[in-house]
Amino acid sequence: MSRTEILAQIVGILEDVAEISPDEVTEDSVLMDDLDLSSMEILTIVADLEETFGIRIPEKELRSFVTISDLADYLSARVG
Amino acid sequence: MTETLTRFSDFIPQGAMYFYREKSIYCRYQYALRDAVDPALLQQAVDAALAAADYFKMKLVREKRTVYLEENDRPFTVSLGSALKAMPEETDGYLFNVSCEGDTVYFDWFHFLADGHGVSRFLTRILMEYCNRRYGAGFACPPLASAPAYDMDALVARDPTAGQTGLPDVEPMQPEAGRLVRSMVRLDKQSLVDAALACGVKPVSALLGLLCLAMQPLVGRERVEYCYSTDTRRVLGVPGAFYNCVASFRHGVDAGPAVRLAGIAPDIDADLKASLVPDVQLGQMAKMMSWVVRVDALKAPLKIKRRVFSMGEAMGNFPADFWISYLGDPLDPDRNYPPALNDYIRDFEVWVPPDGASVGFEVASFRGQLIVCIQDKLGRAGLSEALCAACGREGVRVLAAKEVGPALPYQE
Repeated sequence: MSRTEILAQIVGILEDVAEISPDEVTEDSVLMDDLDLSSMEILTIVADLEETFGIRIPEKELRSFVTISDLADYLSARVG
Repeated sequence: MTETLTRFSDFIPQGAMYFYREKSIYCRYQYALRDAVDPALLQQAVDAALAAADYFKMKLVREKRTVYLEENDRPFTVSLGSALKAMPEETDGYLFNVSCEGDTVYFDWFHFLADGHGVSRFLTRILMEYCNRRYGAGFACPPLASAPAYDMDALVARDPTAGQTGLPDVEPMQPEAGRLVRSMVRLDKQSLVDAALACGVKPVSALLGLLCLAMQPLVGRERVEYCYSTDTRRVLGVPGAFYNCVASFRHGVDAGPAVRLAGIAPDIDADLKASLVPDVQLGQMAKMMSWVVRVDALKAPLKIKRRVFSMGEAMGNFPADFWISYLGDPLDPDRNYPPALNDYIRDFEVWVPPDGASVGFEVASFRGQLIVCIQDKLGRAGLSEALCAACGREGVRVLAAKEVGPALPYQE
């Protein structure tokens, strides 16, 4: 799966979980500050991504997901 | 029963943490009686106990996004043998099971329904009803009511972390998992009490210290992290609650090879006593239940809710090297039962899989023994021997130790 496809999946899940319009999201968007996501929303997005990509993301990785790009990089390395 | 249905639903949040865990936690208490168990009399005893405690006469209803309880109108059937069954799938919808084999009665339940403190009154009632029928013991058996649900909103309002939106600044500990095996160590209670007195600590603190000393070589570092739960019924004003009612704490201690019990027990004891302060208990329980309530409110499939719950617990710093549950008197930690009941019970074991840790120690106090039932997810050889060695160094007498074998089905 290409990085573009992975980004599209992330943006879709963001829209489902937090009702954030795809127009508001860039690779540099900071999850907590720019997108105003709560910890609960971030965990829900991660759980959805696990389900979508059929992987398990260790909890120790969670704090390293600061931007959309961080998420995309992590997923690209595993399912790209 | 209809009148109580709403109340059953109110109870759900207290146990929901065990529903949202990704693996169902099934618990087993087993009592060896003085004679072979008569299954027909045991069936009568369970029927009578269920009639006295309708809290347990309910079934779990799962929907895509939620779960709730309602009255179970199917008869409960005592089964023969010692097999642990999936609950509610193999138990006619009930969230507990009673079976017997030889002289032993097996009580199994899904942790969603109750914690050990809550369920013990019901299980003890079954034993009393059985002894009345089998031996004419004459135990009084009035109705068993649960305390009503506590005020969840008032509790959650005490959450000291309310308003924090970021992920906790903690390094989550991944509990290791492998082939789960069981072992058991029996300690002389008086010698543990003596060791505790010598250190100026509570006996349970001395026990915790011994477990830390036994675990340290296995965890491969000096720091040993452990978790335990404290009962919160009294501070919540619901002493008779059947439902789950605990606050869980995690602490650690440096227990290198040269460390002796006297060097760590005071710190363990101080942490333990601090966790028994009512405001601390309520704050910690509020923090835990706040997370449960937030996950419960998520508009997501149950599978996603479970994973979110699990990540939240890991980030909440709960996974540890080992869990300890100190049951005290397994018939009722508050000892509200006729002492003569002990005349009919020969032995006790408790088997609960570790959750959020690699090793679980379940400890009961019975007939002058501390019965330590150990489950290790990594199947490490030498854990019970390490505990025996630690006890030997500190003058705590080991009465027996044995490897019990692999985990029970559904507890792997």
